[in-house]
Amino acid sequence: MANACFVVGNESVAVIDTLGSAVAGSKLRDAIRTVTNKPIRYVINTHMHPDHVFGNAAFKEDNPVYVGHHKLARGLASRAERYLAINKQMLGDKAFQGIEIILPTLAVNGTETLDLGGRSLVLETQPTAHTDNDMTITDTATDTLFLGDLLFSVHVPTLDGSIKGWLALLDDLSRKQAARVVPGHGPKAMELPGALEPEQRYLAAIVSDVRRLIKEGKTLEDATRVAGFSERDAWKLFDQYHVRNVTAAFAELEWE
Amino acid sequence: MPALRSLVYLRRVAALATAAFVLLAPAAKAEEDVWPELRQQTFGDRAIKAEDGVVVLEIPGTAEDASLVPLTVRVPPSVTQNLKSLTLIVDKNPDPLVAALSFGPAAGSGGERSFSTRVRIDSFSHVRAVLETEDGTLHMATKFVAAAGGCGAMQAKDPDAETVDLGKMIVKTFPPALDSNPIWSGLVMIKHPNSNGMQLNVNTADIIPARFVKEVTVKRDGEIVFQMQSTFSISTNPNFRFTFGRGADNSLDVAIKDTDGAVFTAQSTPSGS
Repeated sequence: MANACFVVGNESVAVIDTLGSAVAGSKLRDAIRTVTNKPIRYVINTHMHPDHVFGNAAFKEDNPVYVGHHKLARGLASRAERYLAINKQMLGDKAFQGIEIILPTLAVNGTETLDLGGRSLVLETQPTAHTDNDMTITDTATDTLFLGDLLFSVHVPTLDGSIKGWLALLDDLSRKQAARVVPGHGPKAMELPGALEPEQRYLAAIVSDVRRLIKEGKTLEDATRVAGFSERDAWKLFDQYHVRNVTAAFAELEWE
Repeated sequence: MPALRSLVYLRRVAALATAAFVLLAPAAKAEEDVWPELRQQTFGDRAIKAEDGVVVLEIPGTAEDASLVPLTVRVPPSVTQNLKSLTLIVDKNPDPLVAALSFGPAAGSGGERSFSTRVRIDSFSHVRAVLETEDGTLHMATKFVAAAGGCGAMQAKDPDAETVDLGKMIVKTFPPALDSNPIWSGLVMIKHPNSNGMQLNVNTADIIPARFVKEVTVKRDGEIVFQMQSTFSISTNPNFRFTFGRGADNSLDVAIKDTDGAVFTAQSTPSGS
């Protein structure tokens, strides 16, 4: 399950990611309402994946501004049919109830600041990495950096963008200063730069193995059997996602 | 999204009507066996020897990424005949024909022959390799693959990067491990979206028109290795790995045509470089 967060200002509330269903999103909304009755003005999605956006519908009654990377709409809309079908099958009819695709009404390109009243969130769109629509959020009041799925901890990273782009971005992020970072999957808070290291090691292992295999004239199938397997014991859900990551990495790196 | 779905459906019908082989699979329900009809349309009443070991199909039983499923066809060294043609079929794809190759004099014999590519698989489907040997016999290997959403929901990880370098090609040759083996292998890669006309441009609400590689000709030292007709069931950035018979220079010339009429050509870099 993904991490969902909310930030409370003097005047309003911002939600950062809404979990994987309207049912879960609605429980998140209930949890927020036990803390504050201030209006939920912003629902921010760190990127397009269903486990971060499918709870969006639970906040419709708040009439919030839905906020995302300017490429989120294209990415999510083109995958909508498949995401809905897969999740309907995976969740079952009851848990699937209420899910709908809600695209950003505020598309961010570059940097954007949201004012919650005495507290602001700085949104920064990132180049293609985990996906082509990752956006980070900094809560300036607490110096907390929300990384979405640019940071996985415990749960094996999943590659749906560019492995080279992701490693380059992690390198930039590792030089950032922040009191804490929040991963998209894993504990609720971690510290830089150590938080990024396991993920950097995982992605770098894939890149180095895949590059060597390509140089040796090996095929994609060969790579899916061996590349990055030194990381197998370091992650949960490795068997579910790793081969897919290697496949995507191979298709990217073979053009170098 | 009924509007989107009906557009996709119309597009599927249109794509089918223009496909090289008009096959009637898309209306079929998931559980329906479409093969008898496909078989009739593609091969008529010709006998097909199934699983007789002349052709071996390797494909993962579960596709990790339905838009990029690696597929390899092998003809074991015990088969000594020349090869005439190879047809790759994914029963449940909107256009079930993936590729139809006809082999030329440079296809080679005297060792294991193989052909690999990467395909899109739209739903749980049988995948078939039908090989025609020189004597005119058809041999078939079949595998079942669990996959979903390779075609209708096919999408680029980074659509903006997709059209950069369109037509860029890499052509390589690999000598056999042993000099006594007369079979070399080659690799052809082309940067091409191979788009299937089933994606929606969300900015304009238009269907992105289909544009895919439809013809590939590979020659070794001027003689044909194979000529291939292909469809959008081949993944983005089409990738073909194949064997060919040893020649004097072992230099490959490749010509690729797409549905927009664009022609891309490339020559192999000397092996080992």
